[in-house]
Formats: sequence, structure tokens, C-alpha cells
Amino acid sequence: MANKLYDVVVIGSGAGGGTLSARLAGLGAEVLVLEGGPKVDTRTDFNTHALPHEFPSRHIPIMKPGKPGFDGERSRGIGGKTMLWNAVALRFSQRDFKGRQHDGAGEDWPIDYADMAPYYDQIEREVGVCGNYDHLEDLPDGVFLPPIPMKCSDVLIKKGAEKLGIPVIHVRKATLSKATRTRPACHFCGNCMAGCDVVAKYNSADVHMFPALKTGKLTLRPNSIVHEIAVSDEARVSEVRYFDRETRAEAVARGRITVVSCACAQSVALLMMSKSSRFPAGLSNSSGELGKNFIPHINAGFEVFLEDLVGNPQGNDEGFLDHAYIPSFMHKQERDYPRSFGIQFNYQNHRAVGWARSIKGMGRAYKDEVKAKFPAYLTFSPYQEMLPNRDSFIDLDYDDPDAYGLPRARRHWKLSDADWKLHRDMKRKCADILLASKAKIHSVSADPSTNHEIGGCRMGADPRTSVVDAFCRSHDVPNLYVVDASVFPSASEKNPTLTIMALAARTADHIGDRLKKGEV
Amino acid sequence: MATYSSDRRSVLKIMGAIGATCAYPYAGDELFAQAAPEHQHLHAAAPHDATRFLTEVDFQTISRIADLIIPETNTPAASGAGVPAYIDMVIARDTEQQQLVADGLRWLDAEAGRQAGTKFMDLSEHVQIGILEPLCEAADAGDSLARNARFFALIKKLTADGYYTSKTGLIDELGYQGNAVLSNFPACVHEH
Repeated sequence: MANKLYDVVVIGSGAGGGTLSARLAGLGAEVLVLEGGPKVDTRTDFNTHALPHEFPSRHIPIMKPGKPGFDGERSRGIGGKTMLWNAVALRFSQRDFKGRQHDGAGEDWPIDYADMAPYYDQIEREVGVCGNYDHLEDLPDGVFLPPIPMKCSDVLIKKGAEKLGIPVIHVRKATLSKATRTRPACHFCGNCMAGCDVVAKYNSADVHMFPALKTGKLTLRPNSIVHEIAVSDEARVSEVRYFDRETRAEAVARGRITVVSCACAQSVALLMMSKSSRFPAGLSNSSGELGKNFIPHINAGFEVFLEDLVGNPQGNDEGFLDHAYIPSFMHKQERDYPRSFGIQFNYQNHRAVGWARSIKGMGRAYKDEVKAKFPAYLTFSPYQEMLPNRDSFIDLDYDDPDAYGLPRARRHWKLSDADWKLHRDMKRKCADILLASKAKIHSVSADPSTNHEIGGCRMGADPRTSVVDAFCRSHDVPNLYVVDASVFPSASEKNPTLTIMALAARTADHIGDRLKKGEV
Repeated sequence: MATYSSDRRSVLKIMGAIGATCAYPYAGDELFAQAAPEHQHLHAAAPHDATRFLTEVDFQTISRIADLIIPETNTPAASGAGVPAYIDMVIARDTEQQQLVADGLRWLDAEAGRQAGTKFMDLSEHVQIGILEPLCEAADAGDSLARNARFFALIKKLTADGYYTSKTGLIDELGYQGNAVLSNFPACVHEH
């Protein structure tokens, strides 16, 4: 087995690697997927329907007792982060691909919306995305299953926002609102991010990779932690070096083409670890740009109580977490910063009553107030796009190795003056919407925080300023690809996963073509 | 301008934010006392078991404070929901909290002695509340707390966490109905 030459070796099995490997197997390529974490059975292994009181610590572990799985720090496990994601699936618009043309700052992608549109279509058909046809220029419609009705609390926010001329739409999620031949519709238990045990919510293992095993072309090798990609003197990947997570036994895999899809910072880390005499600063880093241009989404957050719902009888409002979304609106308005933000809200799970700590007082009045506010609680979390700057990058921390002795990826980020202007305006606009919705603000985040990780292997036409080309191929190493959010030249304020999947499908077709033409 | 350099802890937070704790933006990794692995898979500890950390006297005092924070109404008080055992379990893992609790309990008895020449537990409920309420006000107000107010803030936090994560608190008191299977999600039909 060790000597088998695969057409493609894919490192990582999440939204990028899972989508790409299944598609390539369908095109007839021999594909090996190396996944650092264990194989997980979605239907039996997660604590999907547990409640806190079942555990003395009141903390619900991700996995059931004795089940191998996600360790929290790295999303290691078949399916990667798609196992635990919230499934928001938004298309990027032409403005997102050409931000520099739009407002003069940041970077443009070397591709357009038109290049991606057919792949968005195909991915939406494959994974099943529910949503409403809203006809918004900045958030293109896709191929949608029917939307899920908004919650009462969403309707109140919508009415408030509309007073300010800000539209609120149905959320778009890769969760089924109608059953398909192989997957049931969502049953609204509210445990999407605890691992959807019926696969109503998309994950790359159950929806893409496992069905692709039927082709006989796809080999999944879980528990395989890749630590080095070795190159030949001709600057081509010669072999991928990994060890078994449990036995630590070393092994190698060989492919005509190697694809790195380890989720942003981990992809950067693997390339940085893969030093050689040819690439002393890390693989595919002749530009010196590897790890640079780290542009994670920047969040603020509010906890609020909707006055109209205080004291209401409690119903079951969990749904599939957030049912509505406030798309970017500032990009069309006069402002003193580039880029924009969108707002996810009402995606708390009501079993988490951490806010009760900070209700004032004690005794019966305190207890009654918590009860009255319980049906009125919601979270409000705007996300902004940040622009690349020299102080925001990923590097390796050799002084604090992980459990396997490998250096950790270390994230550095710093907001520029323009990012701060956006951040402050984002918080002001959120407060305006909340006020108009008669929502009383209980807490506001003091400092910005990061969410979706983006950047580090920038895609671009110029090999001097980017790491991969418009097909996610390394400028330096012709049989090496990187397919995840690390290649995004600009982040958009929209959730990245649907774009990762569409990019993976596009790259798979490109690789399939090259294999067919015998170019590799 | 602040620079956010990522040490290991913030890396964990970043990944946590993407993963399962995404729905809880503030409380994040501190929402419930985070489980040490050895605590994760135990079954609910029986009340008054031998593994308790606090002495019986201290346990009773903590129970009383918890019940004054969340008293019995038409649903049980904090002690009826296993909150004292939860508090005991959490502080057993944290030496700083242990010291804070020891100092706090000593202060309560000293204050009871000063006011009535007795121990805190021997005071009437009315007088106990009279001693605790100023601590509660200080704790709610926040910044630069005196040590006795920090003690109260800790007990209030753990009481709220313990109660509203219990079956009694979450389901009986608050009426949580989630984690259920619905065939359809009902649209809002109210006049908002």
C-alpha cells in the first residue's frame, strides 16, 4: 500500500477536502484522503441530545463516552469542522470578489462571481440549502429549498430593522427543510452545533465522502497526522509523510497531485513545517507571503432581552438556531471605512442560561426576573471583514509543541484604523437596530474577537505577492494545491464555507482535467 | 491600539468559537465550569457523599446562601436542585476559590458575631439576608470588589450556573422545551 501511487492525495476531510475528494473520485481519479482525526459515526458518537444536568460538571462533552473524536483545539475527525458548524451557507457576490475595485482597499480575487456561480449551483444542489429568493444584488440567490419560518423574536427584530430601512431575510443554511432520498428534514431540536445525528445538516463525511466510497476510487485513512510534504529537486511533491495518531508509526503516501485542505491556520502550519533546502522558509513560500494576510472575521456581540417577550409563556423556540440574517447594508452607504459587516443573530441555544449570573439581586425577585427574561433572551453577533495588514499573520510556535511534538500554529491579528472605524460603526448600527426593536441590551462585547479563520495562502495572479494561483495551485510547486479559506485574498463579511465548497468543486474539475490530459 | 497576539489560550478560544461553543458568544468557554476530563463521564454524585470537599458545616452554610439567592417558590430552592454539591465540585478544583470561600465564610461568622454575638447560621433568615444584600449589591455593581463581595459574587455565579443547568432549574422553573423533535417549525402568528 505504501508504494501505491494515487492520482491525488488530499490532506484533510472538511468542507474543502471532503468536497474535493468526493468529486475527484466521481471523475474517476484514484484519491487518498489523509485525515488527522478518527472516523466518527454521526448517528451514534456525538452527545447530540444531551442536556447539561446529565453531567456533574454541567458541561456537555462533544463526544459520547469512549467515542473517539473532536478534541476541541483542532477539528480533527472525519468531516472536520462541518461536523460541528452552524451551516450558514451564503454566496459571495461580485463585490466580495472585487473589493478593491469597489472601495479601493484590500485585494481583489483573480476570479469573478461568474467563475464561481456554476459551482455554487452544483454545491447547493448536492448539499441542500434552504433559503428565500430575496433578489439582493450583494447576496446572490442560489438553488434553494423552502425557507424555515422566522421565530417570533426574529419578526420583532425584522420590524425594528425595517424602521431603519435595513432588510432582514431568512437565513440560508445547508440544512434540509425537505427530506431528500437519503437524508431526513431537520427536526428542530436546536442541537446543530453538537453534531447533527440525522444528517439533516450537511457534513462532508456523510454527504460527500461516504457516498463516494461506492466509486471504489476513494480511500479514507483516518488517524493519519501529516507532518511533512517532501519535494524533489524539481520542486514537485515527492511524498507526504504522516504518522498514525494512535501508534505513532511513520508512513508515507504518494500522489501525482497533493492537496492541502487542513483548515486555514493548520494548512499554513503544515506548509511552514515542510522546510527543505529548496524551500527553507516553508513549502510554496518563495514569495515570503505564506502565513501573511491573515484576515479572520472580526466579531462584536450583544446579549439582549426583547421587551415584547419578557414574561411570555415559554415555548419551544430552538428551531435550527438562527432563522434570520441581516445582510450587509453599509457597503451601499456613505461611510469613512472600506468593506462592511453582516449580522447573525438569535443563534443561542436556550439551554445556556449563563446570563442569569449577571441579573442583579437575590431572592425571589431575582428568580422571578430570570424566569421572566428567559423567553426574551437572544444574542446578536455582527461579523466584519478585516483588511490584510503586516501585523496580522500566522506563524509556528516551536516552544509550545502539541501532544505529538509538532509546532502549533500561532495566530496574530491587529485591527488597522480603518478596521476599528468599521468595528465601532458596526456596534453603533447594531445598537440602533436593537433600540428600534425594543430590545434591552444586557451586555456588549468590550473587545473585538475573531471567528472564521481566513487567509495565509493568498490566491493571486502574481507569484511575488501570492502563494497559489486562480485554481488554488501553488505558484512554486506545480503538483501542489491548497483548498480552504486560507487562499481567500479578501474575506467578505459572509460566512466562508459555501465558497470553500464551491472552490473545492472548481479545483477538483481543474485537477480532473489535468489528469485526463496527462499533464501530471 | 491593542495588539492581539495569540497565545495558546486564545487559539483555543478561536477554535472554540468556530466549534461547539459558537452559540454562546460571551460566556464561551466559561459558561459552565469546564470539565476536567475525570469529571466528564461520572454519573450524578449522590448528595452527602464521601467525596465532598467542603466540611459539613461549610457545606450547610453554602447551602443556606445558595437558597437565599434562589429560594423555594413553586419550584424548589437551589439546594433542592443539587446546587451545593455542584458548588462543592467546582471549588474542589480551584485553590484560589477555596481560599476565597474560606475567607468569606469566616467573614460571615465574624460579621454575625459583631452584630449578634453568634454564628451566621444561627441568625434568623431576615438578618442573614441583611448581611448578604450589601455584598450582593457590591457584587452586581462590579469593579474592584472587596474580598467579601468577591466571595458572594463567586457563590452567586455558581448558584446561577448550577441551578439553571439543573433539570429543576432549566425545565421545571424556566420551562425549557427545546431538544424536542418537531415535524414543522411553527411560524409566528402573534400580533407583534
